[in-house]
This record gives sequence, structure tokens and C-alpha cells, in this order.
Amino acid sequence: MISVKNLYKSFSGKEVLKGVDLDILEGETLAIIGRSGSGKSVLMKHIIGLLQPDSGSIMVDGVDINKVSYADLRSIRQHFGVLFQGGALFDSMNSFENVAFPLRTFTSMSESEVQRVVLECLGMVELPDVGAKMPSELSGGMQKRVALARAVALKPRYILYDEPTSGLDPETSNTIDELIQNLADQLNVTSIVVTHDMHSVLNIADKAAFVHDGRMHWTGTIADLHASTDQVLRSFVKANEYQIGV
Amino acid sequence: MRISNELKVGLTIITATVIFILGVRYFEDLPLFATTYDLSAEFDNAGGLIPGNTVRVNGVNVGSVNEVYISTETGKVEVKFHVDRNISVTEGAYAKVSGIDALGAVRLDLYLGPLDAPRIPEGGRVAVGDGNDIFGDITARAPEMLERVSSVLDGLDTVLLETGTMLSQPESDFRSTLRSVNGSVTELQSLLAAERNRISAILQNVEEATGSLKTLTSENGPAVSKLVEDLSVTIATLDRELVGLGQASRSLNVLLDKINNGEGTLGLLVNDPSMYHKMDSTLDGINMLVLDFKTNPGKYLGEMKLVDLF
Amino acid sequence: MVLNPIQSMGRYSQLLFKAFGAVPEFGTYRKKLWEQMMRIGVDSMPIVMLAAAFSGAVTTVQTSYQLVSPLIPKSIIGSIVVPSMILELGAVVTGFILAGRVGARIAAELGTMRVTEQIDALEAMGLNSIGYLIVPRVIAGIVMFPVLYVAACFVGIGGGMMVGHLGGFVPIGEFVDGAREFFQPFDPIFGLIKSLVFGFTITSVSCFKGYYTAGGAEGVGRATTQAAVASCVFLLLADLILAATLL
Ligand SMILES: Nc1ncnc2c1ncn2[C@@H]1O[C@H](COP(=O)(O)OP(=O)(O)OP(=O)(O)O)[C@@H](O)[C@H]1O
Ligand SMILES: [Mg+2]
Repeated sequence: MISVKNLYKSFSGKEVLKGVDLDILEGETLAIIGRSGSGKSVLMKHIIGLLQPDSGSIMVDGVDINKVSYADLRSIRQHFGVLFQGGALFDSMNSFENVAFPLRTFTSMSESEVQRVVLECLGMVELPDVGAKMPSELSGGMQKRVALARAVALKPRYILYDEPTSGLDPETSNTIDELIQNLADQLNVTSIVVTHDMHSVLNIADKAAFVHDGRMHWTGTIADLHASTDQVLRSFVKANEYQIGV
Repeated sequence: MRISNELKVGLTIITATVIFILGVRYFEDLPLFATTYDLSAEFDNAGGLIPGNTVRVNGVNVGSVNEVYISTETGKVEVKFHVDRNISVTEGAYAKVSGIDALGAVRLDLYLGPLDAPRIPEGGRVAVGDGNDIFGDITARAPEMLERVSSVLDGLDTVLLETGTMLSQPESDFRSTLRSVNGSVTELQSLLAAERNRISAILQNVEEATGSLKTLTSENGPAVSKLVEDLSVTIATLDRELVGLGQASRSLNVLLDKINNGEGTLGLLVNDPSMYHKMDSTLDGINMLVLDFKTNPGKYLGEMKLVDLF
Repeated sequence: MVLNPIQSMGRYSQLLFKAFGAVPEFGTYRKKLWEQMMRIGVDSMPIVMLAAAFSGAVTTVQTSYQLVSPLIPKSIIGSIVVPSMILELGAVVTGFILAGRVGARIAAELGTMRVTEQIDALEAMGLNSIGYLIVPRVIAGIVMFPVLYVAACFVGIGGGMMVGHLGGFVPIGEFVDGAREFFQPFDPIFGLIKSLVFGFTITSVSCFKGYYTAGGAEGVGRATTQAAVASCVFLLLADLILAATLL
């Protein structure tokens, strides 16, 4: 259970988050939507303590992650898998080593087990044979999928996805959506998906949270989303060329 | 086979460590693999010795000076140095600073003690020999010595001249003359005996100094080298002649003693041509030497003055 | 964002403090250390040796050029070249080369990792990014700089000797005699301490610049330049401080 309370954050005078409140329950999949530059990625980085709030708190399983020691924060982080918006693959390692990295660092798996898990993860993102390729040899979408494989390799309790399907063709996008759904269903993963893609939202999310003007402008279930009459939300959704309730 | 990073890095570090240790030992002038042992000595005057100067035994480099400082307790100069462990420095060994400070080539000479004496322990103290400054000694003593020799020779000369006159006049009081000759010759001899020691000591020093000077002066300083060689030759000549003088005086003395003791009379002397001739030749020898010295003083004194150059 | 010097010093000290804190969990990063030692130390060997050989040779030639008096023995060349190499050139030439080679590289690597969120990714996994990225680089610098220094002195003195011999300035025997005459055992120790401090200075300053890079590709470029320049400046400063305190 993650709960964000009254989060404020500004960068050199520019206010990005102005009092965000958000609760993510165990096992649910939450989609965070909002316009570009509205602060979705910033919010996500706060949840794992990569950014410190100006005020407000972030509780993970009842622990305020900004009030614990660095060592404790790191052990909390080990429950998370994070897919960064740009992939953030380690460019000094090839794809296989990138996916194997968390396994080798945090588990005592044998090398053959590591191999098996890595290939399984790369298979899940439909890239079974890019293991030997360096990140610079992959397309943007491929990099993102390898990064996704790395984020889920340890089968963490929480997974944060920052735009997992942006830049992917619709077919691959569907595969990724399925993957996210499967992880959520089979392993009871709590997922936070930052996305623009309303199609994905409707496919995978239990709930949606709409960030606007530095606040949680709207939160609710997908059913509520269909019924919403909020003008800002509707125009955002409309801009995604998706007709609610049609 | 691909060499792992660990191996490459490890080998590099080990190689560097070995080069470092061997390099330092090489420039410290230590045997590359043997170990050394530390000693110290206390001098009144270090004569310009500095850390890094070599330590020699019989002209062979065996170590170097580590530290030179004034002891706060004794106010004397404390010199710490190390030598090759294979050199057996036993009780009775002593150290001496030698070389010429002005030329920047000072060293520590170590004179080993008897082989069967107990070894001086690690860190132990070595005795100190005297004569830190050989050249200073020579410079100070040479004119004094020459003056004394020349005054003695002058006196001798007068006496001998007189004797010569006496001998050509048999009717004069030859006995009393001889007594005075005897007195001055005795004096001369005791003087010469005293001087002999000093002269030979000085000559030894000069030779040592010449040796060290020779090793120092390369072709860069032919003038210095030449000068020192001349000096050495001169002093050797002087030494030889003084030995002759000493012998001559001694036999003269024996002869005169005999006359004194009444073993022979003036008549006997005059009547015994062989004895006369003996004495005559003896006196001739002295005379020749003295004349030589008088007519040619430059040969002895002039060149001796060169010593003052130092 | 421009930081004033005092703020920078504060952030730098803070980073070092965190790095120190990360040393105990060093076991996790051991493999990284070997890799960094390889890159900072072994891979820098050829360029350091090349530069050192030339410094030794040039010092020999210039010293003999300045020695005009026939009364001064030729061995003085050895007495000048060897201590110069051991006391100053060995460490400083190595330092300058590595400020460019290693300093810029570290800043570029860490800077790129910062702007492409790779550092965030490490942190998000629960790794100590300072321990993982900075500690191995700084330790590799501290360990490998003295190694490079020894190589530089070895090659520099050798180069000086060879040029002295082949160029007819001074025979090797006399060169060595002169070097021995004025050799102080503390000199190479001082050189080692110096290179160790330089190793720490260059790697830590460059890590600092790289780790706190902001502003995309341009930021990486800026961090890289600043790392090389700051490394050189702090190296000279450290050189002066060490000479003043230890000699
Ligand atoms: N490290 C930073 N320093 C300064 N400003 C920042 C920083 N990170 C984010 N911002 C600012 O915060 C705002 C929100 O950025 P954020 O990356 O969260 O947007 P986003 O909602 O993820 O947009 P997108 O959908 O395009 O990824 C932006 O205006 C950005 O300029
Ligand atoms: Mg974003």
C-alpha cells in the first residue's frame, strides 16, 4: 500500500506538484494520466525516493520513505521494479547483462538460473534473441522493452511503469499491456502505470488518476472515468481520440 | 586464453612494487637483494657529510649515509649509515670522514676491526678515527716543518764550514771544536728524530690525500692533478734526502763519540788516514746536501709553497 | 544552475562523506574495482610511459645544455634528472595526463549515466550508486596512480639515461653515480604519497563533476571540461600543499 499525501515539489522556483494526494492499494493497477510536463514522472520518482518532496509525505507499507535511513530506503526500493521513461539501460552492458544485473546483484542464483530467468523475461517482451546486443544497437522501442524485462526480472511487489507503450506499434503495445496485466493477476503485483495511451488505460487499469495543474485533478475507477463529466478530464481524453462511453 | 582483469591488474601492481623496491635500493647504492645493517657514529665535525654519501671499506662502496644531524643531547654530530650485511664490522672498527667538501665529494671511510672480535650489533656505534681534514693538516704544518728543517740545516752548515776550516789547520784546538760539533749534531739529530715522525706522518697523509684527490680529479682538473703529483714527488725527494742526512749525522756522531771517549786521539785521527777519510766523506755528504739545499732552495721550498694553494 | 565555490566544496565533501560510508559494503562492488583499475591504471600505462620517457630525456638534454663549466662533473646530470623525476615530474606528468585521460572519461561516463537516468535506475533497484560508481573509481585511482608513478619514474629515468648515453652527454655509469650521490630515500616515498593524493584528487573531483551533471548532452560536455580543468587545478594545489608540508 502506497499513500502520497499533500506532496509539494518545485524546481528552482517553478512549482510542479502542488499538493498531490494519492492512494494505491495492494494488488491494484493504477494508471496515472495527464498532459506532458504535468509532473507524472516527477511524482513517480518521489514514490521511490529518487526525489525528495518540499513538503508532504510518501508512505510505503506504512513507512515514510523520507524519514528512514538510506539503508532502509534501499531495502524498501528492492521491493520495486521501475521502468524509466527513457529506458535507462546501462549502456556499458549488453541486453542480457542488463536484465541479469538485478538478479546477479540481489539474488544468489546460479549462473544457469540467471540465464533461464533472463531468457524468460526477454521472451515476455518478445525480444528473445537480443541478449548479445548493446543498448545502442537497439531501437527506442526495443530498449524500452529490454528495460521492462529488467524491471520485472526480480518479480517485485510494486512495479512502476513510466510510459511503457509509448513509441511502440499497436500490436507490440497490446503485448506489453497483456504482460502488465498478467504480472498483476498472477503475481498480485501492485502496478503504477504512467501513460498517455487511453487504450492501455482502459485495457489494464483498475483505477485512473488524472494529474492536472500540479494536483490530482480526478481519481476514480475506469467505470467512473466513463461516467465523468469533468471538462478538463473529458478534453484530455478526447484529445486522445477516444470517445468515452461510445 | 583471455587474461582476466584481476590477473592483469595484479601483475601490474606486483611489477611496480618490485621495480619500486629494487629501484630505491639501486639508487641507495644497496645490493639489490642482500639486506643491510644500520650503524651510527658520533663526530665532532662531519666535514660536510650528507645523507646519500657513500660508505667505503678499503676503497669499496659498501653502503651509504642515512642521516646526519646534531644531537640535541651531546651537541655532537650524529651520523647514521648502513652497510652491506656481508661486511663484518667488529669491535675496533672506526669511521673517518674523508674527501674534499669543496668538491662535493665527501665520504665515510670505515676501517674494519679485527676479524675475530665480536661484531658490532645492529644499530650499534662505531668509533671515530681522527684526521678529518687531511689537507688542512698539510697546509698548516708544511711551512712550519720546512722552517725547522732549514734552520737546522743552516746551523749544521755553519758547523760544518767551521769544521772544515779546523781540519785544514791541524794546530788549532781541534778537540774543543769537535765538542761543539758534537753538541750541535746531537741537537740536530734529536730534532731530526722528532721531525722524522712528523714528516713521515705528514707524507702519509699527503699520499692519502693525493690518492683521494687523484680519484676526484678527472680530466676536468688537470692542473690540480699535476700540482699534486709534483708535490708528492717533491716531498718524496725531501724525505729521501732527510733520511740520508739522518744517517750521515748518526755516523758522524759515532765517530765524534769515539774521539770524545778518548778511544782515539787527535794524533790517531790525523795519523789514521782511513778514519780521516771516513769522517771526511761523511762530512762531505752532509755538506753536499746542505750546499744543495742552500744553492737550490727552490727545489725544496719553492715547490713546497704550492701546498699553500689548498 | 551555477553553484558558488563554497556550495560546491560543501557538496563535494558531502559526496566524499557518502562515499566513505559506502566503503564497508565494498565487497559488492569488488568486480567493478578490478574493471576500474584496469581502465584507469593498466590502460593508461602506454601514454604515461611515453610522456615520462620524453620528460626524462628532455630534462637530461636541457640539464647538460645548461652545464657549461668544465669543472662541474658530468655526473651532476644524474644528480639533477633523477630527483626531478622522482620528486616532481614522475607524479605531475602522470597527473596531468590522467587529469585529461581519466578525469574527462570519468566525468563523461558518470555524466551520461546521470542524464540518461542510469544512476536513477541503479538507485531505484536499491543499489548505492555512490558506492557502486564512485568508490571503485576513487580506490582504483588511489591504488593505480602510485603504480603509474613508479612506471613513469622507471621509464623517465631510463629515458634520461639512454639519451644521456646515446647523445654523448653523460655515460650511464656517471649518471648513476651522480644520482646516487644525492639520492634521498625519502624522495620516492614522497613521490608515492604525492601520486596517491593526485590519484584521489583527480578521480574524486571528476566523479563529483560527473555525478552531479545536469542538462543533457551539453551538461555532459560541460562536466567533462570542468572535470579536466578542476583536476589540473586541484592537482597543482595539492602539489604545493604537499611540498610545503612534507619537504
Ligand atoms: N530535475 C528537474 N529539474 C528541473 N525541472 C524539472 C526536473 N524534472 C522535471 N522538471 C520539470 O517538471 C515538470 C514535470 O516534468 P515531468 O517529467 O514530470 O513531466 P511528465 O508529466 O512526465 O511529462 P511527459 O509525459 O512528457 O513525460 C516539467 O515542466 C519539467 O520541466
Ligand atoms: Mg514523463
